Amino acid sequence: MRLWKAVLLVDLALALGVGAGYLWWGQQARRLAADLQTARALATTAGGEREYHGTGVVRAGLGDIGILVITHGEIAGYMPPMTMGFRTTSPKILDSVKPGDAVRFTLRGTPPNLAITAIDKTAP
Amino acid sequence: MGELAGLLARWLHLGASVFLVGGASLLWLAGPSDRPTARCWESWILTLGRALVLVALASALVAVAYQTSVLEGQAGAAFQPRAIARVLLQTRGGTVWLLRAGLLVLLAAFLVVRAEIRDRADWGAIRGQLALLGTVALALVAAASHAAAVEPGTAAAIAADVVHLAAAGFWVGGLPALALLLWLAGRTAGADARPFAVLAARRFSRVALALVGAVTVSGLWNAWIQIASVAGLLGTRHGRLLLVKLVAFAAMLLLASFNRRLIPALSGDAATVGRPAMRRLSRFVAAEATLALFVLVVVAAMTVTPPARHEQPTWPLAHRLALDNLTAAPDLQSQVLVGSQVVVIGLVALLASLALRRLRVPVLAGGAVVVVAGLVIALPPLVSDAYPTTYRRPSVPYQASSIAEGQALYGEHCAVCHGPRAAGDGPAAATLQPRPPDLRAHHVALHTAGDIFWWITNGRPPMPAFGERLDTDARWHLINYLRALAAADASRLLGPTVEPEQPWLVAPDFTFTVGPEYSRSLRDYRGRKIVLLVLYTLPTSYPRLVELAEAYSQLGTLEVEVIAVPTDAAADAIRRLSQGALIFYPVVTDGSREILDTYRLFSPARHAEFLIDRQGYLRAVFAAPGDARRDPNLLLADVQRLNEEKVEPPLPAEHVH
Repeated sequence: MRLWKAVLLVDLALALGVGAGYLWWGQQARRLAADLQTARALATTAGGEREYHGTGVVRAGLGDIGILVITHGEIAGYMPPMTMGFRTTSPKILDSVKPGDAVRFTLRGTPPNLAITAIDKTAP
Repeated sequence: MGELAGLLARWLHLGASVFLVGGASLLWLAGPSDRPTARCWESWILTLGRALVLVALASALVAVAYQTSVLEGQAGAAFQPRAIARVLLQTRGGTVWLLRAGLLVLLAAFLVVRAEIRDRADWGAIRGQLALLGTVALALVAAASHAAAVEPGTAAAIAADVVHLAAAGFWVGGLPALALLLWLAGRTAGADARPFAVLAARRFSRVALALVGAVTVSGLWNAWIQIASVAGLLGTRHGRLLLVKLVAFAAMLLLASFNRRLIPALSGDAATVGRPAMRRLSRFVAAEATLALFVLVVVAAMTVTPPARHEQPTWPLAHRLALDNLTAAPDLQSQVLVGSQVVVIGLVALLASLALRRLRVPVLAGGAVVVVAGLVIALPPLVSDAYPTTYRRPSVPYQASSIAEGQALYGEHCAVCHGPRAAGDGPAAATLQPRPPDLRAHHVALHTAGDIFWWITNGRPPMPAFGERLDTDARWHLINYLRALAAADASRLLGPTVEPEQPWLVAPDFTFTVGPEYSRSLRDYRGRKIVLLVLYTLPTSYPRLVELAEAYSQLGTLEVEVIAVPTDAAADAIRRLSQGALIFYPVVTDGSREILDTYRLFSPARHAEFLIDRQGYLRAVFAAPGDARRDPNLLLADVQRLNEEKVEPPLPAEHVH
């Protein structure tokens, strides 16, 4: 075989090797990202009914539709801090707190279908 | 000691890599020749090449060992194989190192392959392969250099660095190889290779001219990215190293242009004219190569100093040129304008003198005189005093907590002379000569934050020095407070409605917490939402807060967040607001003290609203001394105006400048 052909082959092999390595690396990264996403999704949906705990400040009680609006801190494993409305399982829960109360509450259900099942005031 | 070894290793590695590229490229460029002296030169280059690969690999090993000791934070790590392996396998620099080392080993293999000159294709392939592998190995340095750390624009910075390395490698590295060839051919015994040497010198000269252009352009681009300011060039180690490099580079260019002129003399009668010229050229090219070695020392030093844009510049001169002087003194504008035009006329004359044959010297001299005269007219109004800290960037960002601290410090240390609001009217002011100036409008615009930092630190008679009494952060707090005072003074120009396309006043950043949520900053809304900051006092503000609550869902769809701050800084603000009305926007329960200290400078009213656009600029201030009710449609119209703006102003700097 002529020498220049050998050189060309070496270069081709080099380019292919580097290219394949780069592609393999990219694929690996993509697969890892996908794995992470499915693992995260599993962690939040699997196992049917779940329970979460949070703390917050009551902003309003909307008695006619059974919703309590709470500015809450992070709900571990479920939701970052925000202000939002939660369904309550009984009118008693709604009536037990007033706007401005600092509270500790329990959410139960199959995400994202959750409702407050218990609530306590943490400060007068 | 270790540092010196690291620097030496980098220099050796850089030099070896560059000379490998240049030697191999020149070999390939000159082409095959069967003359004995040319064959002798080729074998010299190949032998040197093998030695250079060894030097490159060994110095790379030392460099990576040194790097390991730096990364691990202990000198001993340089001798621990396990620590070195960690750096090689787990860092980006390590990956690049492994790739480059692999390429160099492959290059070494090609250095021992014999190439028959009779078969031109084989010869070209083998020698070209050397040049290719060497160039790729050298250019890969860019992937783990300062350029790779630039963000954004990483790809462009790396591309510029690749061009710079490859072009410089060929040009600089080719010089010693060419000097060797010229020296061999210039000996009495080397007459057989003289035509070959002339051919090689011609080809090199032609290619080198283009490459010098590429080196210059890519180098300027790199410098722009890494240094970006005169202060960085003169005031940091990186910048000064670049200046040294530029001086050496200019000397190389001078020598190179001189050498180019010698080339035609080579092709004279081989025995009588050609040989002395060849020997002279060989010496000059060797001198150019020696200069290049020095440039590489500087380059190696630059790779181990942080780029200027990350450093705090220390201004070395007592003066600086500031265009801002003209905004303060418009009557000087015409003088500067006239001066600059005179300079342009002088430059045109200088350019014209290059094209002229006759009268070149008088036109040149005249042009130079005119340029100098123009500078004498234009520059004096632009000259400002400068201090070592003039271009120092504040170490504390422009935000409410710093401004509040600055306000407290100001009251304690400064107000006696400078007055409660920095107007220069303190109780002790009358006794001072010169009187303290009004710090609000004029000064903060004309001087850099670094200037004021210098004065606070070192005093400015009759003002005493505070460098001993206040720590660095405290001095920056004071400067942030002064900036806020000046901004508050200027904010009187803002009305309750937005002026379209006119962002100019940066809203000081602040941090706050709402109940149990984590703390947030005004910055977090940048690029996402318009913010309406409401300072309220109950009960007068209550109707307005209800109005805003009713419009809140509509404001939400227009991407507006309302942040309400109680002026009594009450921790139970939410409870006090929540009786009756449905108010869901954030009510600040923690952090209101600093927000009030800062924003009350802008408006002391019991109820004040600040509309802040997506880029973080304060656009409208609405203040109500009594009943704060206002047609919500006015606010919606303002928001609409902001949403329709086409120009996106740059995000404001985090610091005073």
